[in-house]
Amino acid sequence: MRKNNFIYHLINAVIFVILEVTALNMLGNNGELQGTWMSQGAQNIMGFFWGGSQKISDYFSLKEQNDALALENIELRLRLEALESALPEEARTTFTGSNTGNYIYTPAEIVKISNNSQHNYMIIGKGYEEGVTEGAGVVTGKGAVGIIDAVSRHHSYARSFKNHEMNISARLGKEGAVGPLSWDGITSDGAILKEIPHHVVFEKGDTVFTSGYSSIFPPDIPLGEVGESKIVNGATYEIKIRLFEDFGALRYVTVVENKSKGELKELEDRR
Amino acid sequence: MKTQNFGLFFFLMVLGQMALCNFANFSPFVMLSMLPAMIICVPLTVSTPLCMVLAFATGLSVDWLSEGLIGINTASLIPVALMRKPLIRFFLGEDIITRSDSFSFRKNGIGKISFVLLLSILIFLGVYVFLDGAGTRPTWFNLTRLGVSLICNYVLALIVTNILTADDRK
Repeated sequence: MRKNNFIYHLINAVIFVILEVTALNMLGNNGELQGTWMSQGAQNIMGFFWGGSQKISDYFSLKEQNDALALENIELRLRLEALESALPEEARTTFTGSNTGNYIYTPAEIVKISNNSQHNYMIIGKGYEEGVTEGAGVVTGKGAVGIIDAVSRHHSYARSFKNHEMNISARLGKEGAVGPLSWDGITSDGAILKEIPHHVVFEKGDTVFTSGYSSIFPPDIPLGEVGESKIVNGATYEIKIRLFEDFGALRYVTVVENKSKGELKELEDRR
Repeated sequence: MKTQNFGLFFFLMVLGQMALCNFANFSPFVMLSMLPAMIICVPLTVSTPLCMVLAFATGLSVDWLSEGLIGINTASLIPVALMRKPLIRFFLGEDIITRSDSFSFRKNGIGKISFVLLLSILIFLGVYVFLDGAGTRPTWFNLTRLGVSLICNYVLALIVTNILTADDRK
């Protein structure tokens, strides 16, 4: 019954449209004013629909645009690196806020990501043929998101920051105290910064950056902002951090390789 | 009213409408038309698609044989035919549609039928004034024309409805 009703209404609508369009067409052909007015109206409607379809087409081309932007981003970083190394040592220090050496940046797309376990990981679409090596960092503009654990020809396996086995050396503000930052294991954007001496002054909303003390991540990458804090064992603060990076929406990353990593490792081993 | 009588009166009213279009030009604010009331009074045994075709033919005849723009009455009358049954269902009840019954002032009351007539005239005049103005006339002019014509056409529609829905038991 309902189906018949629908068909009946559909027939009515089709006949109405046919007759009304015929009548309007006759009117447009006979009245000069009406003809011009209706053709203007038709053009506006066409414009609206073409505009809409253009927006849809733009949406589906976002991936290509993202790829292009990621490449442009890396090119800019490389140029920045080159410019930085051309600057005198003093100026370079002022410019970057540190002198931790040079890094190689490789843009990559995440092929697979796990976000719902306690040992999350990600597989990225670049391997040793593209210059990715084990132990390299994985970063975005909003944080350090992982470390490369294994590399194949065109893919790499990275341990996600949302993994209990992972710590990042983080700094409170750009010149504050340094401590290990690890995932809180509960929320998607929650982390805990530990071992901050209790005399250190900080406030809610302060930004936390990578410290640059590890040979993996460059310094001064913003990671998150300070939330609640508590004193543990009467000696150090344990601070809740709200991460900037949304791991659920993560798609493009940059693999970052410290050029001096080998030298630093050798030095550590000699000691 | 018997069908052949309805057909005859309907035909005569189409001729009357042609005369109105050609000779009754009292003011730019008044547009007289019997067409919406005539379409509302088409027997309910006639389906909506058929009624739309009838509205198309009637509007086109009037347009063709009067001095106006060809297509303007046609384009204004087809929406009335489309809305005929929903309006009657809403104001006069579902029963009258289910039984394809006739309606008249005596059976249904002038109040309910007036709402149906007023809304059908409003639909007709809304489209007519909109298309006739073609975006060149100010809103106040269009609204005044719509209001004045609505009142005049309502009186005309009462007469047309009284003729076309004459109760057989009278």
